[in-house]
Amino acid sequence: MIDRLGTSLKDALKKLAGKTVVDRAAVEELVKDLQRALLQADVNVKLVMQLSQAIKTRSLEEEPPKGMSVREHVLRIVYQELVRLVGSSGEVRLEPQRILMAGLQGSGKTTTTAKLARYFQRKGLKTAVICADTFRPGAYDQLSTLCAKINISCYGDPKEKDARVIVRDGLKTLGNVEVVIIDTQGRHALEEDLIQEIIDLNLLTQATHRWLVIDAALGQQARDQARRFHDAINIDGVIITKMDGTAKGGGALSAVTETSSGIVFIGSGETIEDLERFEPDSFISRLLGMGDLKALVERAQETVTGGEIDVNAMMRGKFTLRDMYKQLEALNKMGPLKQIMSMIPMGNVELPGEVYEVTSAKMSRYRYIMDSMTGTELDDPSVLSSSRIQRIASGSGSSPEEVRELIKYYKNMKRALKGVRGAGGKFNMQRMMKRFGGM
Amino acid sequence: MFEGLRAKLHKIQGGLSQSIESASDKEAAEKEAVPPSTVGEKEKNPTILGKVKVLLTDREFLINEKDIREPLFELEMILLENDVALPVTEEIISHIRKDLAGSRRKIGEPVDTIVATALRDALLDVLGEGFDLVSYIRSHDKPVKILFTGVNGTGKTTTVAKVGSYLKKNGCSVVIGAGDTFRAGALEQIDVHAQRLGIKIIQHQAGGDPSAVLYDAVQYAEAHHIDTVLADTAGRFHNRVNLMNQLDKIRRVMKPDLIVYVDEAVAGNDAVVRAHEFEKAVGADAVILTKADMDPRGGAAISIAHTIGKPMMFLGTGQGYDDLIPFSPEQVVGDLLSEEA
Repeated sequence: MIDRLGTSLKDALKKLAGKTVVDRAAVEELVKDLQRALLQADVNVKLVMQLSQAIKTRSLEEEPPKGMSVREHVLRIVYQELVRLVGSSGEVRLEPQRILMAGLQGSGKTTTTAKLARYFQRKGLKTAVICADTFRPGAYDQLSTLCAKINISCYGDPKEKDARVIVRDGLKTLGNVEVVIIDTQGRHALEEDLIQEIIDLNLLTQATHRWLVIDAALGQQARDQARRFHDAINIDGVIITKMDGTAKGGGALSAVTETSSGIVFIGSGETIEDLERFEPDSFISRLLGMGDLKALVERAQETVTGGEIDVNAMMRGKFTLRDMYKQLEALNKMGPLKQIMSMIPMGNVELPGEVYEVTSAKMSRYRYIMDSMTGTELDDPSVLSSSRIQRIASGSGSSPEEVRELIKYYKNMKRALKGVRGAGGKFNMQRMMKRFGGM
Repeated sequence: MFEGLRAKLHKIQGGLSQSIESASDKEAAEKEAVPPSTVGEKEKNPTILGKVKVLLTDREFLINEKDIREPLFELEMILLENDVALPVTEEIISHIRKDLAGSRRKIGEPVDTIVATALRDALLDVLGEGFDLVSYIRSHDKPVKILFTGVNGTGKTTTVAKVGSYLKKNGCSVVIGAGDTFRAGALEQIDVHAQRLGIKIIQHQAGGDPSAVLYDAVQYAEAHHIDTVLADTAGRFHNRVNLMNQLDKIRRVMKPDLIVYVDEAVAGNDAVVRAHEFEKAVGADAVILTKADMDPRGGAAISIAHTIGKPMMFLGTGQGYDDLIPFSPEQVVGDLLSEEA
């Protein structure tokens, strides 16, 4: 369903190709597809309507700058408007501070609290947490277990029924720490006494930040909830959790608009390290189900030091086993293949399913096999005869079948990348993204 | 819950009736205005002639698709705003359109009734049937094994406690299997619930194999002639193959009679995606929707019920053990469309 939306959006964009004037019908179709994609992603209906209106007017009224094709012009507007909708990422300062966590029941506050503590700890700040959840059984056990794993002190008292008392005592007991994160009980907008409790906690702690934790799957309800929390304690940052599911987090956008703050972090997994700083670009591409080459290239640069992987050579279709070796190495650092692939704007190029199914165990087998190849074989895989395959198999401790499988995998990859190049040539996504990057 | 949606639906009902009414007034006016010369020129339904014919001969009025387009679009937006997922919304709309457009209305027959019936049918159609747990347990071999599944943070553990309390009140004996061995604090959480409710709980240590725990729970129930086994599990995302496989193993080992899928009423469009994936991976016999008190609209209830195509069993409406109400579609639809909004 998600992929289909991305595709229909791309088809709509395609219709704008080669046009010299902006075509009203094509723009309207594009806007309609965009609306569908955004509504599907739980973005607030009113926000969607505002956005599509703005895109429509701007596309039709603004003159495309010289040298920019109609499609690029429209795309640029779409992108700019989306960036405006998503907002910039909220600020996180590495300095002594107190953070008050707020959110609905089951949105992932406690897990996020531990993840945040880990984040600040890794940045070299002395961090501690206070468990102010006095309602849910096991809340203190959960937080203290998580904190024990990462050596962070956790204050709490499962017997105390008043969160205010716990927080007051906690702040006193913890004393000399730089970052204090206060985990609170889940509550929703209609629970007046709990809203009052968090107002009190906010006054008591003099919190530097009050962050609202929002489940990526939260729907249109996000707006009302966020407004109530904002009225109560003036939210200044939003954390989206559970982004490792299929939810797109559109609901969080309403929260951002409602609190006029920014998204600070994104939680994307169950382990304590799964917390990322928010990136508007990758968020948008996820929202629309469209790839984001910029993120891929950036990520590649982060994990691979210069020259190790030549994206451009790959794009030109010059792809040897040696490239694949480097790529497999890089992929290990970059995360699962499917995730990487989802970031490449493939147009409607479908990668064969078996490309994805290569597990990490298999990848390392492949690397051993390639270690047994000669330089010539790596540069020109076409020389691989059956006697060479036999030699490679015994050299690497594998079987000829496995070597053949590797060659098949290589061919699949090569074909797929050719497809990317084709789509890239027509679509010129890379150039487009570069342009956006420069804006 | 549902108050918001109810108010909106009311407005729309009024809107629909109005546009049909005004269209029929127009017809009546046109009836006189049609010059005799046009007769015989148009024949295809619903041309003016056709409509006039119907009007004259049958004293009926043909509802035109065009007449209801505007209010239907409005209804679509309202449903979307109330978290009814896009595909489900489209289905409801097309259901109503099919029902209304081309249908004939007797002059004098109140428009409200037609519109209300169409809306009621469409909603009942997507909501499916309710599920009476107590009578299910009474009529099946003991112990009845119920497995709770769902993504993280939807309230499975709390729901297990609530259902335990509900069954106890209705005279069924209960044992809980603490199958969430993964999340920190989950064992302590369910343990406290069980103690408070006076329900026997079977648990192993954290990190253990959930299948083993739940198998033990079933063994215990058989040995002690207990009516129901409630099997809690760790929350998992439907796109985690290994975790879904684990769930499948649990299903093979404990052979549940009922698999209950738990999701939250505030979830947006993703509710549909994940409900579908869970249904595909391990199946689901019934649905419990939690956190319904957070959301006065309740659109997700409609979406999820429709997507899984399984009956809705309970609605979770608060943090207390008694905040669990059996779901009855007739009542919900009745509430939604009732006069006192």
